[in-house]
Amino acid sequence: MNSDADLRARFDAELRVAGLQLGERDSELLFAMWAEHLPQREALRATVPGPDEEPLA
Amino acid sequence: MSADGLCDLDLVGVSEAIHTGRVSSVEATEAYLRRIEHHDGVLHAYITVMADRALAAARAADAELQHGERRGPLHGVPLGLKDLIACAGVRMTAGSRVLADHVPERDADATERLHAAGAVILGKLSMHEFAFGRPAIDGPFPTGRNPWDVRREPAGSSSGSGVAVAAGLCAGALGSDTGGSIRGPAARCGIVGLKPTYGLVSRRGVVPMDWSLDHVGPMTRTVRDTAIILQAIAGHDPGDPSTRDARVGDYSAQLEAGVRGTRLGLPRRYYVDWPGLDADVKTAALAAFDELRGQGATIADVDAPTLDLAPAIWATFLSEVYEYHRETLRDRPQDYREGLRIRAWMGALVTAPDFLRAQRLRARLRREVLALLDGVDALIFPGQAAPAQRFEDISTKELIAPGSRYTNPWNLLGLPAIVVPSGFSRNGLPVSIQIVGRPFDEPTVLRIARAYERATDWHTRRPDPAGWRLS
Repeated sequence: MNSDADLRARFDAELRVAGLQLGERDSELLFAMWAEHLPQREALRATVPGPDEEPLA
Repeated sequence: MSADGLCDLDLVGVSEAIHTGRVSSVEATEAYLRRIEHHDGVLHAYITVMADRALAAARAADAELQHGERRGPLHGVPLGLKDLIACAGVRMTAGSRVLADHVPERDADATERLHAAGAVILGKLSMHEFAFGRPAIDGPFPTGRNPWDVRREPAGSSSGSGVAVAAGLCAGALGSDTGGSIRGPAARCGIVGLKPTYGLVSRRGVVPMDWSLDHVGPMTRTVRDTAIILQAIAGHDPGDPSTRDARVGDYSAQLEAGVRGTRLGLPRRYYVDWPGLDADVKTAALAAFDELRGQGATIADVDAPTLDLAPAIWATFLSEVYEYHRETLRDRPQDYREGLRIRAWMGALVTAPDFLRAQRLRARLRREVLALLDGVDALIFPGQAAPAQRFEDISTKELIAPGSRYTNPWNLLGLPAIVVPSGFSRNGLPVSIQIVGRPFDEPTVLRIARAYERATDWHTRRPDPAGWRLS
């Protein structure tokens, strides 16, 4: 479910968690960039490393 | 020798002119300063021109040379520094109002090494704000215009370094590269740009974008010029722990050894077959690969599936950008340009689990690519997605441009990566190929690049100063 309202709600929740309080223009620009980038982030989350795959030291 | 004739030379040519006494370092420095004064009002390669200091350094170099004290090929040669590399006592802005009055007290390690090599620092070069902002043609720190077409951007973030070298406003420059900031402007300005192995060149005294991905490297007109600068700036610096295992090679010794028997891997699926690749860049790259085959190299298709995730992995490092700027963003947001400010805030939205997921996949990508490099000596592919864009065509809505896939994986892996000119598009804009090698194997990367370069004349072409006007 990725309606505009859902997306906006997710975005606003992430802003709150991050503690960001932005002006209207910056918030709109950040929302547009966040939404545009979302498929990449989802692709990252959807790729599950094996249990032996550690981060770089 | 005329001043313009001198400024059309590559770094080796300028060095030879000085060291054979055809010109003095002072005369060379004056020639560049006159050319900067004449053209930089349009090109905007420089933020700060250090005329008095440069002339003093040139006088000192001339005195030493007259007494037979020759420090090496950079002695007396005028160079430029991206304006995030510290030069003691000289304003360093990183292209931002946030640092408009910042004057570092100490040289960066790279600057110290250039001074020790006798180089003359002409000034501090323009750049995208904090190495991640957008191109700007107005405001206090314009990011530069492409000397091949001043209506177009030179790419960034080391925009001024690319412009200055291509336009002959210095004999060579240093840039920094976190996702392509040396290789992008080098490719679009028709010059050579090298992102060295992570940990080969110190980042001490360099304003960070991402500590984990930042690299300092040379931008020059030829491969040999790049080897000379790299030789001067590479090495362990106790002030940058990432250099503790730096393995410094001889970067000029093998330059002319050719590529007969060299095995090259071409990531065709990810780089050549990508629909976003410009047709002219592709045509020139395929012709360049044929040239190397003709010289005796073998080229085999290779693939690393996790390359598809490289831009997404790279984007999680924006958390480092945000961490560096968070207090200033909170207290002085208006002092940042919008392009940097919004992208920095994106870094605040990267979660710790996402960052760690990216690190695990980065490790996977590293394993895949190092396995490829067990079977070949280097990877080769087009150096960029497309030639330089017009300013009005640059998209501002994306976090990272899709074309950054040509550069940002190699920051994630810290591998040496060089772009070398491979021709021109049909409308006269430079295009390039890129060569990536094993960790600390810059000698091989430079040797392959030089083998291609010496078979072509792309590196001898110069943009026409008659075109450096806006009306």
